[in-house]
Amino acid sequence: MDERVLLVEDDSSIREVAALGLTQAGFAVTTASDGRQALLEFRQGSFDLVVLDVMLPELDGFEVCREIRRESRVPIVMLSARSDTVDVVVGLELGADDYVTKPFELPELVARARAVMRRAGEDPPEQALAVGALEIDPAGFEVRRDGERIELTATEFRLLLELARRPRQVFTRELLLERVWSYDYLGDSRLVDVAIQRLRAKVEADPKHPTLLQTVRGVGYRLDPSG
Amino acid sequence: MSALSPIRPGRLRRRLTIAFMLVAALSGAALAAGSYLVARESRLDDSVERALDQSRFNLEFASAVLAPPQSRTEAVRQLLDALERRSGFATAVSVEGQDFSSSISIRAAQAPPDLVAQVRRGQLAYQRTEVAGVPYLVVGGRVSEAELYFFFTEAQLFDELGQLRTILLVGLALLVLVAGGVGALVARRTLAPVAEASAAARSLAEGLLATRLPPGGRDEFGAWAASFNEMADALEGKIAALSEAQARERRFTSDVAHELRTPVTALVGEASLLSEHLDRMPPEARRPAELVVADIARLRRLVEDLMEISRLDAGQGAVRLEPVDLATLVGTTIRARGWSDRVRVEGAGTVLESDRRRLEQIVANLVGNALEHGGRDVALRTGADGVGAFVEVEDHGGGMTPEHLQRIFDRFYKADPSRTGSGSGLGLAIALENARLLGGEIEVWSEPGRGSRFTLRLPLPVAKPLQSGDGPVAGAAQDEAHNRAGG
Repeated sequence: MDERVLLVEDDSSIREVAALGLTQAGFAVTTASDGRQALLEFRQGSFDLVVLDVMLPELDGFEVCREIRRESRVPIVMLSARSDTVDVVVGLELGADDYVTKPFELPELVARARAVMRRAGEDPPEQALAVGALEIDPAGFEVRRDGERIELTATEFRLLLELARRPRQVFTRELLLERVWSYDYLGDSRLVDVAIQRLRAKVEADPKHPTLLQTVRGVGYRLDPSG
Repeated sequence: MSALSPIRPGRLRRRLTIAFMLVAALSGAALAAGSYLVARESRLDDSVERALDQSRFNLEFASAVLAPPQSRTEAVRQLLDALERRSGFATAVSVEGQDFSSSISIRAAQAPPDLVAQVRRGQLAYQRTEVAGVPYLVVGGRVSEAELYFFFTEAQLFDELGQLRTILLVGLALLVLVAGGVGALVARRTLAPVAEASAAARSLAEGLLATRLPPGGRDEFGAWAASFNEMADALEGKIAALSEAQARERRFTSDVAHELRTPVTALVGEASLLSEHLDRMPPEARRPAELVVADIARLRRLVEDLMEISRLDAGQGAVRLEPVDLATLVGTTIRARGWSDRVRVEGAGTVLESDRRRLEQIVANLVGNALEHGGRDVALRTGADGVGAFVEVEDHGGGMTPEHLQRIFDRFYKADPSRTGSGSGLGLAIALENARLLGGEIEVWSEPGRGSRFTLRLPLPVAKPLQSGDGPVAGAAQDEAHNRAGG
């Protein structure tokens, strides 16, 4: 079955060519040209991925991202104007899973789309893990803290799972980028940092003083089950 | 006085002061010398006049006393007694080889010989002489056989003249000093506006364009200050206009780049769709399509570089410092761009705090440039030396002449205008801006016919090894399946 993608982009040429590229790559594409229409489409159908431009008429990409996250943990890839401004970080903080910088090439977009969806889907069935107060169930895509269900996006879930599989081991940002985001080289390490922040906000008892997800200065992160 | 900066007494001020003192000294000296000479002359004449009057009287008196019948000796004694009662002079008499004197220190023989000769000829004469260090005015005259010499002491006169001289000299010295003081003051007050103006000009030159001189009075300096301020206004206006124009130009470049981004994004997408079908195109369409795909790639690079440079110009370049291993980064960069078999990489791993993305861009730009202009055989070396960390990119291509070398980091500068390479012409400029943003520099060496060497130098903080963690240190992934189609 084809994976369904909602492509939100206001420029008709980019929209058409990106839709073509994604279609040729085997996705079923629905398009929207502004933020309001994007939300309408999103609520009508069910999608496996949203590709979202930041600059949109009516409702900008950040707003759309925020709205979608309120209702769903569907993977979101932002189309960003530039990589080194706050745009990217704001998008990630609002819950986007990854981003692609304009101008991008189609294979790049397709690769990002596939990587982000792989996180959400095709997980080999695995035993449930218990880490400290957390219970992680890879099969059911569920995390509980003291029996209470926590909503995580696909990326957050994969990140937590990756760290939890080898507790106390230090993971460099590069390694996490490779394992979770499928970046072969030179991924943006802000992806990791922002995702860790979001994860802390959800799973830590006191997100300002994290004990479970620890930063190892100069190296990366690790999960300490005693925390 | 000036609040702008301390005024250093200049040479002009010293010269003015010295001139003042010289004029005062010369005129003062002339005046003092003149008045001294006049005073001295009149005092001495006066003294002679009085001595002669007295002497004439004395001689008349003597001729009365010395008249016979009295014995000569007796008469002389009486004369001396009588004359001694009059003060102011001592008398010495020489009669027929005998000397008589009213004072033990005075004798007729002490009269100067010239005077004696004149007296013997019967004249009334005078001459000045010194006896035992005391100045005397000696007046001599003859009465029959007797020669009479009157020694008028002039010690007091000369003392007084000496005092006058001292007073005049002290006065002169004081005058010169006062003149020096006044001169310094006048010079200082006159030159203060000059010093102020030069301090103001200096601070203008240092970029404080708001510097103005305080409006002066209605004298020449006031006019000068006014025109100086006009000049400063004009300069400030010009520079403001220039930087405004420059800012506008940069905004325009940035706007252009951003406006181009949307159509270029579409073009890039279209080109990637097109490139998948090149094989199935009729031969006459295929070559143009290939060119379109290649040119779109070039256009994309140009727009990306324009965006990057306008971002750097706007100072929007955020630097994200993190520990970076230079050797790993270089290896990854080369592999990511598929240059592995064209670039020889060697060197030790060096860990430094830097911005990964910018470093990658610098290395890619330097290597890309070397590959484009240097052809084959590009060598890349990383490491650290006493100065800091470095990445050295060396090619053995054509090299550059010094003129080209000078402008190699200029935007859109192409050493060989006939060569239309795939670069945007901004690569080295961007690399240099990024290097500076990271606190580093790019050095370049080149020689026509031998090749070029670009060295990126980066500051190395106090070296600290990576903290020991029990996790694996991620190197570059070996999986090439998701090769990002990069630059």
